[in-house]
Amino acid sequence: MIADVVKNESKNEGKLKYGLFLGCNIPFNRPDVEQAMRKIFPALGVEIDDLMGQSCCPTWGTMPSIDIVAWCAVAARNLCLGEEKGIDLMTACNSCYGSLNEARHKMLTNPDILKSVNDILSKIGKKYEGRAKCRHVAWVLYKDVGLERIKESIKYTLDDITIAVQPGCHFLWPSEVYPDKEEDPFNPKVLRELCEVLGAEAPYYSKLVDCCGMGALRSTDPEKSFTLVKEKLECIKEELDADLIVTTCSSCLIQLDDAQERLRKSGKLNFSIPVLHYVQLLALCMGFDPEQVAGISVTPRDEIIDKIINKR
Amino acid sequence: MIEPEEGVPTILNLSEISEREREEEEKVVDIVREFGAENLIYCMQCGSCAAVCPLARVGFEWYNKKLIKALLLGLKEELLDDPTPWACVACNRCTEVCPRRVSPFEVMFAVRRMMVEEFAIPTLAIEGLRALYEYGHAVYMTGREARKKVGLPEKPPSTDSDEKALKDLKTILRNTKLAELGLIPMND
Ligand code: SF4
Ligand code: SF4
Repeated sequence: MIADVVKNESKNEGKLKYGLFLGCNIPFNRPDVEQAMRKIFPALGVEIDDLMGQSCCPTWGTMPSIDIVAWCAVAARNLCLGEEKGIDLMTACNSCYGSLNEARHKMLTNPDILKSVNDILSKIGKKYEGRAKCRHVAWVLYKDVGLERIKESIKYTLDDITIAVQPGCHFLWPSEVYPDKEEDPFNPKVLRELCEVLGAEAPYYSKLVDCCGMGALRSTDPEKSFTLVKEKLECIKEELDADLIVTTCSSCLIQLDDAQERLRKSGKLNFSIPVLHYVQLLALCMGFDPEQVAGISVTPRDEIIDKIINKR
Repeated sequence: MIEPEEGVPTILNLSEISEREREEEEKVVDIVREFGAENLIYCMQCGSCAAVCPLARVGFEWYNKKLIKALLLGLKEELLDDPTPWACVACNRCTEVCPRRVSPFEVMFAVRRMMVEEFAIPTLAIEGLRALYEYGHAVYMTGREARKKVGLPEKPPSTDSDEKALKDLKTILRNTKLAELGLIPMND
């Protein structure tokens, strides 16, 4: 089966081109993350296709909770949009990354599922061959663009800035389904290296791979969700005294940014650490307009942005 | 039945309840296996999945290992009212560490799928499904102003701005189990 998967890979034929898969949270809640991607990738030599007509991946609380074939069918329509153009998708949302790749893994390892999916897709004149997959923007930056090129492209460096990294669950597990894998998914290095190449410190901390408590957990039981995120934030404060939290997941971004403010308002937290998605941090370092690439947050960011750009 | 020793707190006696429910026609194990948790019978209750599960960490009742034990014992009714499967963040830490390739995540979601059939589905999930069908996105369309503020067009290049694509998505959804369940209105 694995051999089949490899044989089926989309060939990007030397040029770097990806379908920008947006999902729901990024275009509607955090469009500054979308804008950051639209700025940095062309500047780094990566062409973006809009994947016109894309939809929700589908996210966990929707089709995956109803039926496996239904989940895979919605995912496959999205994957087809890339496959028809001979390109892979890329996303900055871990949930999309997880849902699309788990669905693809199911379709590639279970011919019955793929057949049922293609029966459904035939009603709209589509067929999923299993070639197109979804890459994560952090891996595209790390592997395809490369640390050297990132280093050459930045205008501002992050000297004297300590970053607490938050890769997020669906960047790591289940490693079996992902096109790119950390050497040790319980001690991930990619995001740390991506931050270090910008000149920052990005040390290990004991809750680095802990869950932020977003998603289903937060909608089911906000109290329990805030317990998790509070523990994580306190660990970041105590062990690193970080200037900034940087994540590769839009859900973690929203949770760490928004829940932090709620905890402060209810008197449960007495400090503030700004949060950015990695593509936003890179866009800032490359000199793009902070209003456009990092203009939406609940926890204030002005000070850190000022420090990066004006070295105050 | 063996009486617990003095001082041992009364706990939910899973074996006793399972005795009661063994008579049920369709075994719950078979139902959840049908819904995607094929490997649950290989669980050896080692607890690795519970050790890494955020739900177990913050005190949800039926976290992965305990849920699997309950299912293997044949419990069903006790589980239908519990929110735990709907709190699963699908992180798959459990899948990564399970030495028996059970994929406890799949068990959590298979139980969700079983609950859906019994209409034990949270309102928020229904809202998400409705939004997915109506717009192709599972979030409310509130972000237009924010998009303009950061210099983007009001609508993303998704089903939100592509009628044909939205129609295609609806066709797909109408040909899945979602339509059979009748959870949301699914007009053309
Ligand atoms: S890790 Fe696997 S074998 Fe161990 S208790 Fe969990 S499901 Fe069972
Ligand atoms: S996927 Fe669900 S059951 Fe498994 S560790 Fe994550 S939250 Fe727990």
